[in-house]
Order: sequence, then C-alpha cells, then structure tokens
Amino acid sequence: MAKRWRTWISDRFGLRRVYEGTLNRRVAKSSWYYGDGATLTFLLGVLVVTGMFMSLTYTPSPDGAYESIRFITEKQVLGWFVRGLHYWAAGMMVVMLFFHLFRQILVGGYKFPREGTWLIGVILFFAIILMSFTGYLLRWDERSIYALKVAQHMFSRLPWIGESVVVFIQGGTEPGATTLTRLYAVHVIFVPVLLGLFVIWHIYLVIIHGVTSQEERNQPIYTASQQRQLYRAQARSREKGENFFPMTVFKSGLMATIVFAIVLTLTLTLGPQRLYPEADLTTISRPIEEWWFYWYSGLIALLPNTIAPWFVVIFPIVLFIILILLPFIDRSPWRGFKKRLWPPIVVGICVIGILYLTDLRRRSPWTGWPDSEPPPVPAGVVLSPEAEQGRQLFAQYGCNSCHPISGHGRKVAVDFGQIERRLSQDYIRDYILQPPEGIAMPGYRGRMSAQDLERIVEFVLVAQTFPRSQ
Amino acid sequence: MERRTFLQIAIATGGLVTAAIVAIPVIGTALSPVLRRESGELWQPIGALENFPIGQMTRANVTVPRDDWSQTLREKGLYVLRSSNAELIVFSRNCTDLSCPIVWDEGSNCFFCPCHGGIFSRQGDPMKGPPKRALYRYAARVRNDTVEIDLRSVPPMA
Ligand code: FES
Repeated sequence: MAKRWRTWISDRFGLRRVYEGTLNRRVAKSSWYYGDGATLTFLLGVLVVTGMFMSLTYTPSPDGAYESIRFITEKQVLGWFVRGLHYWAAGMMVVMLFFHLFRQILVGGYKFPREGTWLIGVILFFAIILMSFTGYLLRWDERSIYALKVAQHMFSRLPWIGESVVVFIQGGTEPGATTLTRLYAVHVIFVPVLLGLFVIWHIYLVIIHGVTSQEERNQPIYTASQQRQLYRAQARSREKGENFFPMTVFKSGLMATIVFAIVLTLTLTLGPQRLYPEADLTTISRPIEEWWFYWYSGLIALLPNTIAPWFVVIFPIVLFIILILLPFIDRSPWRGFKKRLWPPIVVGICVIGILYLTDLRRRSPWTGWPDSEPPPVPAGVVLSPEAEQGRQLFAQYGCNSCHPISGHGRKVAVDFGQIERRLSQDYIRDYILQPPEGIAMPGYRGRMSAQDLERIVEFVLVAQTFPRSQ
Repeated sequence: MERRTFLQIAIATGGLVTAAIVAIPVIGTALSPVLRRESGELWQPIGALENFPIGQMTRANVTVPRDDWSQTLREKGLYVLRSSNAELIVFSRNCTDLSCPIVWDEGSNCFFCPCHGGIFSRQGDPMKGPPKRALYRYAARVRNDTVEIDLRSVPPMA
C-alpha cells in the first residue's frame, strides 16, 4: 500500500528523475573534508530561514531600523536566538567560504572540465562577501554607519566614476532613508535571488562534473575526456566509488552538523552580536568592522601609505581577475601536490597571513586615543612627588595617547618602561620640545611650562627604571 | 528569407525590445540619485562666532538638509579651529584614509583615527598611518556673527 503511494507520488510529481539524477548515483569516494560545499549550502539555508523570519519585524528605515533590531533581540520570543543563529551562521559562512576556496586551490578543483563550476563559484564568493557586509550594515549601529562610510570611501577611489558610485550606493550625497532601503533591498532581494540561482547552478555542475577525486590527484590528466573516463571508472568501481546517497551525504552531513554545532554553541554562549550605540555622525566613537574583515583592515594599516590608498581598490579587482583567470593559466596536467608545489605554499601563506593580521587588528597597536587615566605605577614602586606629578601630566598632555608604560596603554610609540637604551634627561627634554623631523609626535614648545616639562622628564626617567615585566 | 530564420529573428527582436522596455526604466530609477544630484554651494550655519574661542579646537555640528523622509542622521560632527580672531578652519571629522571618525586629543594636540592608525596634526596634516592627504576643510564664512560652512565644498566622502 505504502509502496503504491510512493510510486504514484514520485511518478505524478516527477520525483523519480530528480532522485535518479541527484541522490541515487555513483560518485568517486571523497574524503570527509569534501563536506565543506554541503556545509556552505546548509549554512545558506539557515541564513535564508532566519533572515526571512527577521524580516517580519525589521524596519528598513533609519528611524526604525535600530529599534526594530532591539525589539527582535529583547522583546520577541526567541528573537535573540534567531538573530544569533543568523549572525554566527554568517560568520561561519565566511570562514567556510575561505576553507572551500583554499581547498579547491589545493586539489586543483578549477581544472578541466570544472572551469564552469569554478567561475560560478568565484561569483558566489564575491556575492557572499557582499552579503556578509550588507548584513551588518542593516543593524544601523555605529559600526554599521562607519563600515558603510569606509566601503564607500573605497569606491570613491575608482577613477572617474568614484563619486557617482558613492552617490548611487548611498542614494544621495549623505546617508539617509534611501541608503537603508537600498542596502536592505540588496541584502534581502537582489543578491539572495542571484545567490540562489547561482548556487543551484553551481551544484548542478558539481553533479555533472563530480568533485576532484583521489585518482585525479594521483596522476597527470591531459584532457577533459580523459578525466571523465577516469572519474567514471572510479565511480563504478567497488573500492573507489560509492553511492551518493547515503554514503557521501552522510559524510558531508557530518561536517555540516559539526559546523552547525559550533554556530549553535556560539549563539547560546555569546548570543547575537551586541548592538552598539545607534548610528549617528556626531558622537565620538571607536568603531571596528566585523571580525571576518579584521585581516583586511589590518593589512591596510600595515601597508606603507604610498600603496595603501590604492591597494584597497585594486586588491578586490585583482583578486577577482586572478580567480577568474586561474583555470586558464594553470593548465598543467597535475592536480595533487606531487608536481604542484605552489598551492600549498600560497594557501599556507594566506592562512597564516589572515590569522596574523586578524590578531593584529584585534590589538590594533597602531591606534592612538585620548585617555585621561595616567599610566599605572608598578607594584612596589614609590614615586617622588615630582615624578608623581609628572605621571599625571603624562596623561594631561596626551603622552599616554600613544606611549604605553610597562605595557599599559596605547602602543603606538615607545614604551619607556621597556626601553632598551635609557635616554638622558637632556635628550628627553629636547625631544619633547621639538621632536626630530619626520617623527609623528607633536612638539610641545610654547605650550608646556618649564615646570611641567621638568616633571614629565622626571617621570619618564623614573619609568625607564621600572621593573621589567618578562 | 526562410520562414524559420524569420521566426528566430522575430523572437529575438521581440524579446530584446520587451526586455529593454522593462530594463531601461528600472535602471534609470535606480540611478536617480546620481542623475538628479544637485550641485552648487550649500551654506549651513554651525553656530555663533562667540561659540568658538580663539586659539581653540571646538566641536560643532552641522545640519544636513536632505529631501528624504527620515528624521535621524540629519546632523554631522565637525571640528572647528579658530586660530585667530578672523581665521576659522572647519575640519571634516572623516579620516582622509577611509572615513573613520577622527577624534581630537586636547592633550597632545593631535587628531587620532580609530581605524588604521592615522594621526593628524592640529592643522590637519597627516603625521602617521595610511592617510596621505590633510583633513578636508569646509569653506567657511561669518555672516551676522554666525559661522556658516558650504557643505558642498568637500567631496561626498569627506
Ligand atoms: S580610516 Fe583613518 S587610518 Fe584608515
């Protein structure tokens, strides 16, 4: 009886063909880490569902956006959970996106006959980055508004059309109502529709061309038809092939489940991203981008300022061109590491670079900032009254906006508590009054009294003798 | 012409014309902010002259007239340096690297950018970090003891 119903449904709804074409087929055996694509698809699903349900409440207007998100988070039943899932799934999506990209480079996933799969993947890569960016702009807190400004500023560097692009994205010369409606439309309609179509296309091509199999990585392959033969032989073979359903699905599902467990844990422990003060262009603020963009920001800070302004515009364009051209440049017959040394090297450098820059940006040692709190005195050290006054003045004159003492405070300039060669009294005094040419320090001549100067010099002298923290 | 070829051409033309009738207007609408962008000067008051003590850096806000319907974000922060009785410099608060909001540090007499380490002098000149050019200055004038600035005297990202 049940069987008859099943047959009827699959016949009348045309499911038989879908089943044969997608689930019930032989594929080459793949390793567990080939589940990254399925994981991305799964995360996309989570994002679509949670996003759809947040759009029931979200108000794309500067007057209501921020408050509507507050409402979702604080008043709506399980709203915080839905928002949390959306946020962490988005973050993990970016992480997995890089994983997927790097893995494909490592195994030569872009090589014939999979160029089409790769090219669509490149488009998806940029679309997802765009989503991960527009998404957090919708929060309309101070991080959003300045992230928008930074991105806009990058666009403004495009030759000739820069300013027009800014006005186009913003919907006017200043951010306002039309800005948010545009961002909203892009985030929930334009890009998602394209993303959906391209994801389906991408997967369709994966079904047609399969994924880079073990055998392909072990031997040189010279033509697309040779690859097809090899792949088919593996898919059919008992040891080297498997049924897509349930074998492959189970393995990919495992990875997706693990990643989802991470997303869930982060949601339950850290909750959704906290809301910073509402977007506003008048109050002092210290915004920072979302963590998955830290590395890029760090890179901008590290580059010499002759390159940095152009780099931000050129880098994404160059990256796009390189990725698009990759399958046409690298046409060697090898796909594994055996005869291809550059992929592990390049990917290794990228991964280490990204992690390093992310950490650097987290610490942002290049940022100076006013701080009225004088540097702390190490335990056991007693300052003379003059030096103590100097310590107060050290903050009053903004020395501590850049100079740390024994590791405390902003780390832009020399730490007198950890200096290698002690400076003499005269040297310090002259330096404060008139720093040498090319040093990024303001001269204090004319705006610091002789007494204040002596006190600060005294404090710096004492700070040089502070016990070293190892 | 063969019947088949004719039909192919007819379908292609019909399709393209229909697509164009829909596509061109929607693109035009989307481009509206660029096509209808206003130019020319736009002077706005930022406060009475006496609000800006001589020799000091003062924070000020300017109201941005906009023709959209939202009430928020109508104000923009600025820094005003009145270096002498007659001379006023009105700085934009946007870092010239990538527009992060700079802060004035009275102690060190420097502007700090929170993003990539940009530091500017009291005169707005870049001292450190990625910024290459000086802080943007608005055109300023005094009318009836009120300081006014021209909002369009700096580029949109400034
Ligand atoms: S935005 Fe100011 S240093 Fe980059």
